[in-house]
Amino acid sequence: MTILSLDFSLNYKTFTFTINQELDLTGITGVFGHSGSGKSTLLRAIAGLEKNITGSIIFNEKTLTNTTKNTCQKPEHRNISLVFQDSRLFEHLTVRDNLKYAAKRCVNSQLSLTDILILTELDMLADANVFDLSSGQKQRVALARAILTEPKLLLLDEPLSALDQASKAKLLCLIVKVQQLLNLPILYVSHSLDELQQVCDNLLILSQGEVINYGNIHHTIHQLNFLSAHLPNERLTHQQTSLSLPIASADNGQGLTVLTLAEQNILLPSLAGKFIKNQHLRCFILASDISICLSEPQNSTIVNHLSGNIVAIESSMLGVPTQSVLVTVICSGHEFFVHISTFSQRKLALYTDQPVYLQFKAGAVRTYLY
Amino acid sequence: MPSPDLLALAVTLKMAAVTTVILILIGTPLAWFLAKMTSRFKVIIEAIVALPLVLPPTVLGFYLLIAFSPQHLPGQIWQQATGQQLAFSFSAIVIGSVLYSLPFVVQPLQKAFEQLGDSLLEAGAMLGAGPIDRFFTIVLPLTKASFITAASLGFAHTVGEFGVILMIGGNIPGETRVLSIALFDHVEAFDYAKAHVLAISLLIGSMILLASVYILNLPRRRTSK
Repeated sequence: MTILSLDFSLNYKTFTFTINQELDLTGITGVFGHSGSGKSTLLRAIAGLEKNITGSIIFNEKTLTNTTKNTCQKPEHRNISLVFQDSRLFEHLTVRDNLKYAAKRCVNSQLSLTDILILTELDMLADANVFDLSSGQKQRVALARAILTEPKLLLLDEPLSALDQASKAKLLCLIVKVQQLLNLPILYVSHSLDELQQVCDNLLILSQGEVINYGNIHHTIHQLNFLSAHLPNERLTHQQTSLSLPIASADNGQGLTVLTLAEQNILLPSLAGKFIKNQHLRCFILASDISICLSEPQNSTIVNHLSGNIVAIESSMLGVPTQSVLVTVICSGHEFFVHISTFSQRKLALYTDQPVYLQFKAGAVRTYLY
Repeated sequence: MPSPDLLALAVTLKMAAVTTVILILIGTPLAWFLAKMTSRFKVIIEAIVALPLVLPPTVLGFYLLIAFSPQHLPGQIWQQATGQQLAFSFSAIVIGSVLYSLPFVVQPLQKAFEQLGDSLLEAGAMLGAGPIDRFFTIVLPLTKASFITAASLGFAHTVGEFGVILMIGGNIPGETRVLSIALFDHVEAFDYAKAHVLAISLLIGSMILLASVYILNLPRRRTSK
């Protein structure tokens, strides 16, 4: 287990950041929040680049910073690497020399530079000048360079924000691959929940310089559905159901991929890419894309019908009179969130414990990667 | 060119070379310190460094002459340490030149360090490079052109120096008699032919040096993003 204990605060003229949280960094941990929520500040503090913090940062029982004991390890001695949003490659060096720069300074280097060039698909670009690269290629070099320092913890600060959709998906897949191959704990900052939903195991949510939630990715995203209701001015994301389900069949012969939800199935348009049976697929369905029926729908073009029970009906915005409610339905042990109008709720006379059917189109099941 | 003028040329080149080396050694940390400094005292140090740009050289020379004399502390310390008088020596004109040309070296370097910013240094730190390592592997290669500019301007400005040297160096052949002073002597003696030779040589030499600096800076302007 990789444990990061954070207990510090940081004051700027117009911004205060406070955190007291222990993070289990197994796998990829996402850090989500709006601009100005303190995401980058958190990463910079862990990396040792923020000078003015008060408190302590302890990583795997090793004190990185403790201001009461006046200890602050220099960034270059922390064995933590950070991939910046803007790549920050050295333009006076080629791709290969940028990577060598990192490898040369790594004590007890285990990884081969050539292997990493191949892993990050940079082998053809090794001798290119970095100012000739595209944004996506630059970020791959930055990632490869960070990996070659063989860090104990890899920090990613909005690594995809400057990329187009195709490059984003490609780099996300690479990040997952790197994490699995090297078993490297990763802390991944982004303002895009869609990105994080695809790759993270845990999620830390920041708002206005404070932690508002932390836990398993799906659970935290579901909690966010209600947090949005509690913080009407802080609407962080669209209310949604976040799932990770095994693939029963990548293509059922009708252009649809079939996912297993216990004894039921979820269908979505066939995905590009190779999948093995029972490989888990991350997907999400927006609460506004699901509707509720009291009887099993027949003769409908909508392909997904799931049976379940209503467990909660809440106003979608607490304290504000609204025309809509957020209904939580359990289908085969999974929580689904449905956003409907109060008009529909009254029309169907919905109540908790009521058995219902959820229906949604195949296209409403979204993935970001494929 | 007769041999006294060649001797003056040798003294000039030696003085300018020694001065340039010292200027780079002193000017680099000073420029770095100023580029990273956030205190309000920064402007005061900047003003002091820039002072030789506006001050009449004779003013600087006058104060240095007093300081270098054996009656005053700097002159005394020097005499005790070396056994020689500081005023009217080669060392005196080098010290004077260092002070007089300081802004020509510090200002381009400070500007280059400020433009480079902290982002690449942070990236270097994240790759395990310490401060000295980062300076030689990131800062120096990326600001190389500014170093060459600074050194060339410092050198050229020192070659063209007159007032300060006249005040603190006098006119000792082979020791403190530099080209600009030799030129002045020729004019005083109405030997315009020799004065012309020196004047045109200085003009062409300086022109070539400055043109090289500007040519050198062209590719950097194109590739920097």
